[in-house]
Parts: sequence; C-alpha cells; structure tokens
Amino acid sequence: MSNPIGPSWYQRNYFLLRRLHSLTGIVPIGVFLIAHLVTNSSILWGKFALRGDGAGKSLIDGGVYYFAKEVTWINEQVPHLLLIEITLWVSIAFHSILGVVYAMSGKSNTSRYAYQDNWRYTLQRVSGYVGIAFIFYHVATLRWGWKFLVPGGTQWSHHYSASTLALALRGSAEGMTTWGLLVSLFYMLGVTMLVFHFANGLWTAAITWGVTVSANAQRRWGRVCTGIGAALMLAGWSSVIGFAMLSPEAARAQENKLLGKSAHAVPESSSSEVPARPE
Amino acid sequence: MNLASSNSISAQPGRTIRFRIKRCDGPGKPSYWQAFSVSPEAGANVLSCLQQIAANPVTADGQRTTPVVWDAGCLEEVCGACTMVINGKARQSCSCLVDQYAPNDGDEITLEPMSKFPVVRDLWVDRSRMFHNLKRVKAWVPIDGTYNLGAGPRESHEQQERRYALSTCMTCGCCLEACPQFLPEANANKWDTSFVGAQVLGQAHLFNLHQTGEQLASDRLDVLMGQGGVSDCGNSQNCVKVCPKHIPLTESIAALGRAVAVHSVKRWFTSK
Ligand code: SF4
Ligand code: SF4
Ligand code: FES
Repeated sequence: MSNPIGPSWYQRNYFLLRRLHSLTGIVPIGVFLIAHLVTNSSILWGKFALRGDGAGKSLIDGGVYYFAKEVTWINEQVPHLLLIEITLWVSIAFHSILGVVYAMSGKSNTSRYAYQDNWRYTLQRVSGYVGIAFIFYHVATLRWGWKFLVPGGTQWSHHYSASTLALALRGSAEGMTTWGLLVSLFYMLGVTMLVFHFANGLWTAAITWGVTVSANAQRRWGRVCTGIGAALMLAGWSSVIGFAMLSPEAARAQENKLLGKSAHAVPESSSSEVPARPE
Repeated sequence: MNLASSNSISAQPGRTIRFRIKRCDGPGKPSYWQAFSVSPEAGANVLSCLQQIAANPVTADGQRTTPVVWDAGCLEEVCGACTMVINGKARQSCSCLVDQYAPNDGDEITLEPMSKFPVVRDLWVDRSRMFHNLKRVKAWVPIDGTYNLGAGPRESHEQQERRYALSTCMTCGCCLEACPQFLPEANANKWDTSFVGAQVLGQAHLFNLHQTGEQLASDRLDVLMGQGGVSDCGNSQNCVKVCPKHIPLTESIAALGRAVAVHSVKRWFTSK
C-alpha cells in the first residue's frame, strides 16, 4: 500500500508460500521421515519381519538381512525413484530456505516468558537449523559420496548399506573411534532434532490450517503429536544405536549372502538361502 | 477487616521497598536506571507508589531528579494505558498490587516501559501502531450512511458470549510485548507489512463474527492473508497467557487460519 511500485512477487504470493511451507513439512518431508526411520530401525526388529527367512538368524543378522533387502528393493524396484528423490530434495530445499527466512522474522524471548509453548517455539527454529546441517552432512556423505567427511573415508554403497553405515558411524572396521563417536553423536542429535521438529510442526500446522480451533482441541492434538513424536524418537534412536553397535564384518557377511542370491533382482519367494538363479 | 488489610494478608506494614525504574528523557534519548525508596500505604498499587515518587522525586541515594512519567486513564484495568513491564513481564500498573509484589522490607520492584513501542518518556509509550493496525483490518462495524439502517440482526446467546470475550480487549499491548513475532518498528511506513499481532487478530475475528461487521470480512481476510497477517504468527502462544482479559487469542488465530484458507480458495476460483 505504502509501496509506490506495488507489492513484490514475494508479497503477492505470500500466503501461497507460507502454506506451501507448512504443507511440504508434512508431505512429502514428514511422510518420508516416517518411512525412513521405520526402515532404518528395522536393524533391530527386522529379524521378526523376515518370516521364514529369519529362522536360524540372530537378532542382528536378521536385522541386517532385512534392512539390506529393503534398501535393495527401494533402490532397484521402487518406480520413479529419481522423480521421488527430486521432489523430496526440492521440498527440503524450499522448506529450509523459507524456514530460515521465517525464523529470522522473530526474536526468541524465553528468558522473560519461559512457558513450555514458548520454549517449543524457540526449539522449533533451533531444530530447523540443526536439521538442515544434519541433512546436508547425511546426504553429502551417504549419497553424494563426499568421502573426506567420513572418518575412515568409506564410500557408501546401497548393496552394502548396513555395513557401510556401520563403518561411517564407528569410524573404523575395528571398533568405535573418537571421530566415529562424534559422528554417531551428531546423528543422535540430528535425528532427535528432526523428529521434534516434525512432531511439533504437526501440532502447529493444525493451528495454521485452522484444523484445531479450540484450546481443548489443540491440547488433544498435542497429545497425539507427542505420541507420534515419541514413537518416531524411539525408531530414530534405535536406528542410530543399532548401526553404531553393528560389526561391519558381520553385516557384510549377511549382505554377501543376499547379494549372492540376487545381485540384480530381489528374491520374490525367498524360501531358501541357496542361490536360486544362475546369472 | 478493612479492604486495605484484606489486600495485604502477608505484607509487612511500615516497610520500605525499592523501585528500580528504567527512565528515558524523550524519544530517541538514551535510557538509564534510577532507584527510589518508597514506603507504600496498605493496599498500594504501582501507580500510587509512582504518585509518591512524583510528589517527592528524590532517588534512593538522595539525589533530586525529575518526576517519573507514566500514562494512565481508568485506574481499573479497562483502558490499557498504564501497561508497563513489571518485574520482567508486561501488565497493567494500576491493578498491580505492591503488597503481593513486595511484601517485605527491602523488596524490589523493577519497572520498564514496554519494549515494542516507542518511548515518549520514562514509562509512557506511544501505542499508535496498535490503532493503525486496527485500521488495517477495518476493525469496526460498517454503519455509516445517509439513511437509517434500522435495527441490527438478532444474535444468538452463544454467539454473544463468544464475541463478548473478544470485545473486552483494551488495546493494552501485553500480547504484543510478549510475542516473539511482533518486533519494534520505528519506521511507520513498514507497519503495513509487519505482523499485526494477536490483539488485531482477536479484533478481526470479533468483527468477522458480527453479523453486520461480516460485510467487511473479505477485506479483512485479504489483509490477513498478506505479509504481516495471520501466517506471521509463530504459535508460541505467549499472547494468550499474558492477556489480562483472558481473551482466547489462540482460538482466534486458528479460526482465522481456517478462514483465510477457505477465502484463498474461493478467491482463486471466483475473483477476476
Ligand atoms: S501465538 Fe502467535 S501471536 Fe501469540 S504470541 Fe505467539 S507468535 Fe505471537
Ligand atoms: S488482546 Fe489482551 S493483551 Fe492484547 S491488547 Fe487486547 S487486552 Fe491487551
Ligand atoms: S489505567 Fe486503565 S488499565 Fe490501568
């Protein structure tokens, strides 16, 4: 109004951008986060999901086997994988950049108004910043192959997903090194922050979109979000702890077993451990 | 038991307390702190202590100074003019009982002007931006015209109760002082793109709920969709906790969030 040139592009699309920012946090980013943490935590529960294949395997061997199978399936069988990845990356970039712009428009005041809700307001912004740094490190090392950022310099490979991740979190094949510990702790921090960010973001999104209008509805939805957050936190922590405790050699043995059976295809009816198809 | 003693259940009579006051001699001048010793009467409030200081403006270390300036109107927590930051939190000074805040000899009370508005002098701030923001969203019922509009529409009891709570807003500014998304803005040209704050969101909701005020609902939602509108709220929910009138501000924020979502879709399909 007071601007003689008229509203800028940013101002004309202000509402759309704000709501897209809110939406992308849930779909696709939040949905992906859930799928990702469920898959990764299978290192601890995968044995039980293997059904017949799990028989005779230890808890961890079964976890590795199931996890490796899932990762292979995702990388080789999911249709339009590139399109999904591009959508995800564009969404994360969009949500991050606008998130920083929005976060900079406020000034935290928890020292004077130390309410729980106000702490979450501040933490939502802090967790966003930490989350961006963590996702960048995570993708750069495990996807773009920036080996110089990985202690021990191991290169990620999806055929050896469990063992290469275990190596990256431990720092060496022999055991946990100081650098490995730091990477593991950074993973714990990153996962914790991102899960909080998602759960709290789900709570605020319901207000932003006017889904929960009454204070009681906001309280009730808050309990649901706490539950979702707690479950995802459990999945996230068990993933990091599970992989940080995993012996890369034992993991590699299971991965080779799976590879020997199907280097290029996923076993459809996996009833035995014997390589079925000659290639 | 007289009224004064009922207000001072555990306060020590005849005590001397200290006021630490953040002062400023005028717009743009630097602020500085001064302390004053006061022997409050039973049942005193912060304003009556400030009157004592004004009657004898001598600091705690015996220096003569200018009287401390403040703003006030109703003296009964309905006009909002006397709002200041007391012990770190915004509230009305007329209803702030000293017996509760400083019950013992030597207790201290800190007074600061609100930080989100320009200081006129000492504890007196200029709240014009709040009234400017009310104009941004046309927070009124359009009844001006050349002929008698007749009686207004009948309103249900339930609707009256909902609107009554919102109508008690006294434009005091507590909700803005506590809001992490409402920041001071000295340049009045930027007010139109800065966050309106919970006070205006409550009032826009109030007039959108009114059956005649509703005629301007679309204009209000247009403004609230834009920069500085309801999307700028960061859901810290401080506003609802500090509002002295207990206005359910976060419910208005959510209701408006829903209204602008519907409005934007309608506008996309119907407006030229
Ligand atoms: S809920 Fe919104 S308007 Fe209220 S204090 Fe927080 S950011 Fe400000
Ligand atoms: S909404 Fe409450 S805190 Fe805000 S200006 Fe009105 S009365 Fe004051
Ligand atoms: S003087 Fe009116 S609210 Fe205090």
